[in-house]
Amino acid sequence: MNAHAAAPPPASALDDPRDHALAVAGLRAGYGRGGDIVCGIDMIQKPETIVTVIGPNGSGKSSFIKTLAGLLPARAGRIEVTGRDITALSPARRVAAGLAYVPQEANVFASLTIAENLKLATEFIRGRAGVGPGQRERVLALFPELGQRPKTLAGNLSGGQRQMLAFACALLANPEVLLLDEPSAGLSPKIVGETMEAVVRVREAGVTVLLVEQNVAAALAIADEVVVLVAGRLSLRAKAGDVKQADLAGLFFGKEA
Amino acid sequence: MVAQLFLNGLVTGLLLALPALALTLIFGIMRFANFAVGALLTLGAYAGYLANVTFGLPLPMAAAFAALVVGLACVLCDELVFERLRERGSITLLVASMGVSLVIENICRFAFGNAARSFDLAVARPIRWNGIRINYEQMTTAGVVVVALILFHLLLSASPLGRAMRAVADNPSLAAVRGVERRTVARITWMLTGALIGIAGVLAGLDRAIDPLMGWNYQIPIFAAAILGGLGSPLGAVAGALLIGIAEEMSTLVLPPSYRQIVSFSVILLLLLFRTNGLFGAKAVRK
Amino acid sequence: MISYLVTVVIFVAIAALVGLALNLQWGLAGLVNFGVSGFVALGAYAVAITAPHVGWLAAMAFAALMCAGLSMLLSLLTIRLEENYLAIVTIGFGEIVRILLLNEGWLTGGALGISGIPRPFAGMTPAGWGDGVILVFAVVLVTAAFAFSEALVRSPFGRVLRAVRDDPTVTAALGKPVLALRVRAFAVGGAIMGLAGALHAFFLTYIDPSQFTPIITAYAFMAVIAGGRGSNLGLILGAGSIMLILEATRFLKDIIPWIDGVQLSALRLGMIGVGIVLMLILRPQGLVAEPKRRYGEFFPKDAAGPAPNRALAEGGKA
Repeated sequence: MNAHAAAPPPASALDDPRDHALAVAGLRAGYGRGGDIVCGIDMIQKPETIVTVIGPNGSGKSSFIKTLAGLLPARAGRIEVTGRDITALSPARRVAAGLAYVPQEANVFASLTIAENLKLATEFIRGRAGVGPGQRERVLALFPELGQRPKTLAGNLSGGQRQMLAFACALLANPEVLLLDEPSAGLSPKIVGETMEAVVRVREAGVTVLLVEQNVAAALAIADEVVVLVAGRLSLRAKAGDVKQADLAGLFFGKEA
Repeated sequence: MVAQLFLNGLVTGLLLALPALALTLIFGIMRFANFAVGALLTLGAYAGYLANVTFGLPLPMAAAFAALVVGLACVLCDELVFERLRERGSITLLVASMGVSLVIENICRFAFGNAARSFDLAVARPIRWNGIRINYEQMTTAGVVVVALILFHLLLSASPLGRAMRAVADNPSLAAVRGVERRTVARITWMLTGALIGIAGVLAGLDRAIDPLMGWNYQIPIFAAAILGGLGSPLGAVAGALLIGIAEEMSTLVLPPSYRQIVSFSVILLLLLFRTNGLFGAKAVRK
Repeated sequence: MISYLVTVVIFVAIAALVGLALNLQWGLAGLVNFGVSGFVALGAYAVAITAPHVGWLAAMAFAALMCAGLSMLLSLLTIRLEENYLAIVTIGFGEIVRILLLNEGWLTGGALGISGIPRPFAGMTPAGWGDGVILVFAVVLVTAAFAFSEALVRSPFGRVLRAVRDDPTVTAALGKPVLALRVRAFAVGGAIMGLAGALHAFFLTYIDPSQFTPIITAYAFMAVIAGGRGSNLGLILGAGSIMLILEATRFLKDIIPWIDGVQLSALRLGMIGVGIVLMLILRPQGLVAEPKRRYGEFFPKDAAGPAPNRALAEGGKA
C-alpha cells in the first residue's frame, strides 16, 4: 500500500518551487480567541493535479481552505503559490498571485446578472497576467451555456448552473491554483457528476485544483491524490486509486492507518 | 385640488427619494438603518445656508457645498464610529447612530441657534397651468432630484464602482475574493450617500424653515419609503419615496396636515403586518 | 436649596426607572426601543387624564397596562424580523405619540398640556411636606422596580433571555417560546416606562409635549450603556451620574461667559451623544460589567428546558 502517514515534508521541499504549484508548511489557524482549528498542516501539490481533502465533520477542512484563500488569517506557517509566499496577502491579492477560490455556497452574486458576475471576476484584480478577452473566450468555451443568457440574474440559476458560473468567475483570473470548497454541496447526484466533470476539464486546461469534499465517492473518482484531515491535522495522504472507501471509515474515527 | 395634491406629493416624494436611497444603500453595505439620516439632512440644510446666506453664493453652489460637507461628515462618522463597531452587530450600530444623530443636531444648534432660518432667494411667481400651481422651489426640487437619480442609476447599473457597491452589499466575503475592497467601497458609498442627503437638505430648506429639528420631520417618511421599497433595494427606495410622498399629501384630503407622518407610520405598520419584504422584494425575516 | 435637591433626586429616580425599563428590553431581551420618550409621555398623560377621576393608584395601573399593551403590540409586529425593523417602528412610535399629544387638544390640552395633576396622598399630606412625600414615593417606586428587575433577571425567565440574547441561532432553534418571553420582557419594560411617566406627572403636576422630547430616549440609552448592559445596579449608578453631570453642567455658564443659553444646552445634549458613542467604542461592558453568572447558574442540572443551548451555540460557531 502506497499510503503513508503524513510526515512533515523536508524543508528543502520548499526550496524548489518549480515542482509544486501549492506548498503549505506548518499552517495554523482558528477563529477569534478559540484554539487552533487548523493545527499545523504541511502539504505540497504538484502542478496540474487534483487533490481532494476529505475528513469527518469538524475536522477543519473548510477552515483549511478558507485559510488558503485568505478569509481566515493564518496564525503560523506559510503558504506558497508557484514558489511565491502569499501568506501575508489579502484575499484579493492572492487572486492576483494566481490563487482562485470558489466558496461553498453563496459563490455567485445572486442579485447581479451573469454578465455582471463575469465582469466583476476580473475588473478589480490588478496585475495578473493572462487576464483578458483571450482568457474569457477560453473559459466560456469550457462553460458554453453561460454565454447564452448574459442578462439572467445569477440568483435565478439552478444549483448546477450557479456552480458553473462560480467556476468560470474563478477561472477568469487565470489562476495557477483553484480552491473549491465542497463543490457538490446541495446538488443532485446527476449535477454532482457534471460538476466533477467540469473540475476535470479545468485541470485539463492546465490548472491545479485543490478541493474539499464531503461526497467522498465523487471526489475520489476525479482526484489524483487524497488528503485526509482529522482534527486539524493531516492523517493520510495517498494516491486516489489506492484508497478504498472502506479504509477511510477507520481513519475518520481516529485509527492509525 | 386632487391634481394639485398629487403634484405636491410627487415633489415631496422626490425630495424623500434622495435620503431614502441613501439609507437603503448604507443599509446594503453596513447592515443597519442609520438613525442619523434626519440629523444629516439638517446638517445639509445648514451647510447650504452657510454657503448661500453667509458666503453669498448662489444656490447651486450652496447645494454642491452641502453635498460635500455632508459627504465628508458621513465618511468621518464611518471612520470614527461605525467602522469601529461594525463587528458588534446592527443593534450596537443603531444605538451608535442615535448618538451620532444627537451630536450632529447639536453641532447645528451650537453654531446657528434654535431660530428658524431660510435661504436668500428672490421670490418668483408660481406657474399656473390648468388650475395647478407649480412654484419655483418645486420645479427646482423635481429637476435636481430627477437628474441626481438618473446619474445615480447609471452609476449603480453601468459602472464598475456601481457593480462593486452592489457586490459588497450582496456578498461581502465573495466580493473580497474578487478583489473588491469592502473598506474602499464603504467609504465611497458613505461619501456619495452623504452627498445625496446634503442635496436633499438644501431642497428641504427651500420647502420649509431651517432649524435644528427639521430633520425629524423627514425621519419617519424616509424610513417608511426605504421599508416600502424593501430595505437594501435602491430602485425600491425611490418608488417607495414617491408613494409615501403622494400618500402623505393625499391624506390631507381627510386628515389634518399635521397628521401626515401618521400616514407614513401606518404604512410601515401595515407593511410589516402583511408584506415584510417591502413591495419590491428583499428579505426582512431573520432565520 | 432643599427643593432643588428634591428635584434632582426625583429626576434621578425617573431616569433610573426609564433606564431599568430599557435595561429589561435591550439589556435582557435584546430588543431595542428608540421610542422611550413616547412611552414615558403616554404614561404621564394617562395618569394626568385619569387620576382626577379614578385616583392615583388606578391611574398608575392604567398607565402601566396601556404602555405594556402598546409595547407588546409593537414587538409582536416585528419580533420575527431583523432588529432594524423594531428600531424603526419604535422611532416612529415616539414621533407619533408626540404628534398626537400636540394635536388631540380635546384630550391632552395640545401644546398647553395638562395642569393641576393631583399627587398621591395629596389629601393626607400636611402643608409643606409635599416634596417629602413625593420623594419617598419616588424612592419606593424605584426600589420596587429595581427589586422586580433583579428578581426577573434571576428567574428562569431571565436566564433563558440572557442565554439567548446574543445568539440568534439559539433563538431560532428554540423558536416561539423564546420569542414570547422576549415580547413579555419588552412589555414589562414598557409598563415601567409608563410608571416613570406617571412619577414625572405627579411630581411636576403639570405636563406638556415639550417635556417629552427624544432626548429622554438618549438619556436612557446613555444610562444603560454607562451602567453596563444587563446590570441593574450599574444602571442605577449610571442614571445617577448622568443626571448629576447634566445638573452640574448647568453651571458651566458661570465659567464660560461667552457661551449663550442655547449653546450651553446644545453642548450638554451633544455631550450625551458623544458619551453614547465613546462608551460603546471604549467600554462596551459599561462602568459596572454585567455580573458573570456561571454556567451552572444558567442551567442547573435539574432545569428541564434549555440545556442543549450551549452545545447549539458552540456548534453555530464551527
